[in-house]
Amino acid sequence: MKENSINAQDNIYKPAIMKVVAKHDEAPGVKTLRIEFVDPVEHERFKTTYRTGMFGLYGVYGEGESTFCVASPETRKEYIECTFRQSGRVTSVLANAEIGDLITYRGPYGNRFPIEEFYGKNLLFIAGGIALPPTRSVIWSCLDQREKFGKVTIVYGARTVADLVYKHELDEWMERDDVELVLAVDPGGESPDWKHKVGFVPTVLEQAAPSPDNCIAVLCGPPIMIKFTLIALKKLGFDEKSVYTTLENRMKCGVGKCGRCNVGSVYICKEGPVFTADEVSRMPAADL
Amino acid sequence: MTRILFADKLDNCLERWRSAGISVIGPVKKSNSSGYSAVTKAAEFDFNLVLPERSIKELFFPQSEPLMRYEIKKQEINTSEFKAPTSERIIFGVRPCDAAGLAIDDPLFGWDYQDEYWFQRRRETVLVTIACTKADDFCMCTSLKLTPDSEKGSDILLRPLENNSGWQVEELTDRGREAFKIIADLLQESQEKAAPTAVVEEKFDLEAALAWLKEPENFESHFWKEISMRCIGCGSCTFLCPTCHCFDIQDEGDTYSGIRRKNWDSCSFALFTMHTSGHNPRSTQSARWRQRIMHKFNYFPGKFNLNSCSGCGRCSRQCPVDMGITETLQELSKLLR
Repeated sequence: MKENSINAQDNIYKPAIMKVVAKHDEAPGVKTLRIEFVDPVEHERFKTTYRTGMFGLYGVYGEGESTFCVASPETRKEYIECTFRQSGRVTSVLANAEIGDLITYRGPYGNRFPIEEFYGKNLLFIAGGIALPPTRSVIWSCLDQREKFGKVTIVYGARTVADLVYKHELDEWMERDDVELVLAVDPGGESPDWKHKVGFVPTVLEQAAPSPDNCIAVLCGPPIMIKFTLIALKKLGFDEKSVYTTLENRMKCGVGKCGRCNVGSVYICKEGPVFTADEVSRMPAADL
Repeated sequence: MTRILFADKLDNCLERWRSAGISVIGPVKKSNSSGYSAVTKAAEFDFNLVLPERSIKELFFPQSEPLMRYEIKKQEINTSEFKAPTSERIIFGVRPCDAAGLAIDDPLFGWDYQDEYWFQRRRETVLVTIACTKADDFCMCTSLKLTPDSEKGSDILLRPLENNSGWQVEELTDRGREAFKIIADLLQESQEKAAPTAVVEEKFDLEAALAWLKEPENFESHFWKEISMRCIGCGSCTFLCPTCHCFDIQDEGDTYSGIRRKNWDSCSFALFTMHTSGHNPRSTQSARWRQRIMHKFNYFPGKFNLNSCSGCGRCSRQCPVDMGITETLQELSKLLR
């Protein structure tokens, strides 16, 4: 979990050129791009360094770069998928990218989820809203080698039915008998034909009551959801050291030099973005 | 007997270095400000400055550094990289605090990922430092456990002679020796005495301040709110600081062509950490000033075992509202007494 990828290229600020090969509308304002390396050397470098949990800087020359996770798993390295909400300058241009268009990518940076340490354990994934993408990277990394893990439970909630992302994959997980998927929308966010839970993620989690025995939890979501979900996990008997999460902050360099992503003494870009709940609890809350 | 470089030989030295393809930079006072600038004649140096207003940082980490030129045509992106210049240079008349500042930032620009824009210039530059014989009220190197004749980061240390006619030469590194080999015959053995180094009194108790900053509960101390009330968030302190290294990456141009640049940025600015969502982890000026102090005296030492401050005092000297590192750590020392 403490490893960092070391980028061998001379200029650490020079991005790779990527081709958009697929795009998908996930939810209002939320898109997924599948991108491929144009330069096979850059692709090879990615394949040898990428592990689930790492992030990248996706960009468009003339607009800049934005930081998001790599949403595709470490078991599928032929391409990179990123899911983002159209909200700023860079994401607006990325959202309008067409298949065949070229964008830029720098990374992968940061640490990772220590998947090997999860072997033989039960896995509980908890995600809220647009935080499913980083969770999904871990989910597929595990499902692609399903035999190595115990029971897999996924609890995913969004504000409304429309806000659920990766709907096609949710259907797939719902149908698998080796995955237990609990879906929820916030009260008022349900549609007339909604057949799943209505309620906030922490409440839904408590009702589902997964056992903490031999179980690793991966939790991603907005800060308020994280806060109350951690309380729920504690009630269920989870140890903070077996709960993993991923943090994000504004970044410019991604490699520990531009000086803005730190929470207290911890650089999210180098020591993170993956932390245990125990590590997060030792960071100064006022800086988060 | 010590080797002496007499000031009247300086023009010959400049000539020699120029012939060897080495450019010379030194402290120069211009009408609006002073800094380290290119020098062709000895008369252009201003060795009387206690400290140039602008730090040496800009010669290694320019305020705006072009990284890439991009050109976009239909389905094609063409880029060309800007590299740091490869020409050799001597900075003659560096102040010890500025030389120390560069050495402080080396590990930052080199941890895991090497920033070649920084290191290329570091490799090509010889730092000829002149020990300080005078200081002003803002100098605080001694508070940072450095001295007015500190060797840290320097390749050559010069000590001004008592009669101000030249400098005693101390060669500190191979790089310095190489540069002075070129002018070896212009140096003279002499018994001239060096002038006493400046007296810089200790302004705060660094160890006590460091210990206070390490205590997790002090992160939310009321001290931060009080000390930063005056701060107008102008960022001058960070721009003038020889060790502040924060930057932004911005594209200058349009959809079709332009330049991607690495520009100085400042933790004093409200937008520095602002998320797209509107959430801002450091949303108040006190949180931002706390970040600056904590970064320099707690986080940076935690990572690199160095305080990110060489005691030049520019932050206090040039602050429009009379606050800076000195005032903050002094107030902190008072609090502890």
